Amino acid sequence: MAEPEEAAEYVLGTLDASERAAFEARLASDPALAAEVAQWQRRLSPLDDETAPVEPPAGVYGRILERIGPSDNVVQLKRAVSIWRGATAAVSAIAAALILFLVVRTPSPEKGMYLAVLQGENANAPAFVAAVDVGRKMVVVRRLGDAAPTDKSYELWALGGGRDKPQPLGVVDAAMRMPMQDMGPMDGTMLAVSVEPEGGSPTGQPTGPVMFTGKLLSVEGR
Amino acid sequence: MDASTDSARLAGLVARVAAHDRAAFGELYAATRAKLFGVVRRILIRGDLAEEALQESYVRIWSNAHRYEPGTASAMTWMVAIARNQAIDVKRRAAERMSAQAVELDDVVLTETKPSAEDTADLRRLRNCLGGLGDDNRDMVLLAYHQGYSREELAEKFARPVATVKTILRRSLMLLKECLDGRA
Repeated sequence: MAEPEEAAEYVLGTLDASERAAFEARLASDPALAAEVAQWQRRLSPLDDETAPVEPPAGVYGRILERIGPSDNVVQLKRAVSIWRGATAAVSAIAAALILFLVVRTPSPEKGMYLAVLQGENANAPAFVAAVDVGRKMVVVRRLGDAAPTDKSYELWALGGGRDKPQPLGVVDAAMRMPMQDMGPMDGTMLAVSVEPEGGSPTGQPTGPVMFTGKLLSVEGR
Repeated sequence: MDASTDSARLAGLVARVAAHDRAAFGELYAATRAKLFGVVRRILIRGDLAEEALQESYVRIWSNAHRYEPGTASAMTWMVAIARNQAIDVKRRAAERMSAQAVELDDVVLTETKPSAEDTADLRRLRNCLGGLGDDNRDMVLLAYHQGYSREELAEKFARPVATVKTILRRSLMLLKECLDGRA
């Protein structure tokens, strides 16, 4: 049984290391003690206003994200890919895209099916997977990474393949399936996702940074 | 945004973080990072240690968000408590005392006792109760809370035995409780 002063000193921070460890061990299994601690936090918390806010360096958030691990759907995808890889020996990007195909329940690939896995610079996990079904004139996109920042949208573009400028394909959210106008040449085409104002680029051309890119590859293989 | 909607927004974000919503985590970080970094830096002074404590704090917030109970404290109070705990752990682990730099900051803490117009009613009341402890006892409590001073560091600074410091701290805290709860 803890003395009442111990919860107070724990919150103040002056218990010594062994007292502190012992107290925390009790805290985990003693709701009354936890309530006592919460009361002391509430009593002393007005003092927090006396401490001036300080912006932390920009790199800290990235390290926090590394520590908390990849998002759940990327974990699932990686798991799926590793199972798939066990059965065959394939290029991992194509494997990822094919697995995802099942996830988005697109009809099985027919003639004129292209896939792209979009990644950011230095990223080891895919951010988007896109499939282009030329026969049905459909583009299917699935986001695997984090959502666009608040008040921003991700927009998908086709680049290269003889295009003289990026061709807008639409704003992409978590998952979407959209009819495609004439997509033009597929060979040598890259897909890219840029960050745009909410609702998409006001100019019809990318205005924000291009975050993710991936090459379109034919499912049939060439 | 006034204080109550701000506090409701943070509580909502913590609830979404409990479901491992990463977008909510990003928003929560953006809304609270400067406050928490201020808290851990005041305790740790050294930038690299403060960053380490901040990082650990948010990893804790991510994994313990489901334990947050909105009825017991505001989300900000809950997060500051996590950050202070991390900072104190880091400080106790760090062998060096960082006392040279700490001396400069002592004066800041000790002169910040005058009430200002922007102080909240809660802070004015707490300051008033702290004032009733007498200068040395008040300063011990403030140095422990704001800068993570251990009993040993306080003993050295105030030239008192460690056991006496412990007694003073405990008596001061009980007096504060009476003073605060008595007027609630």
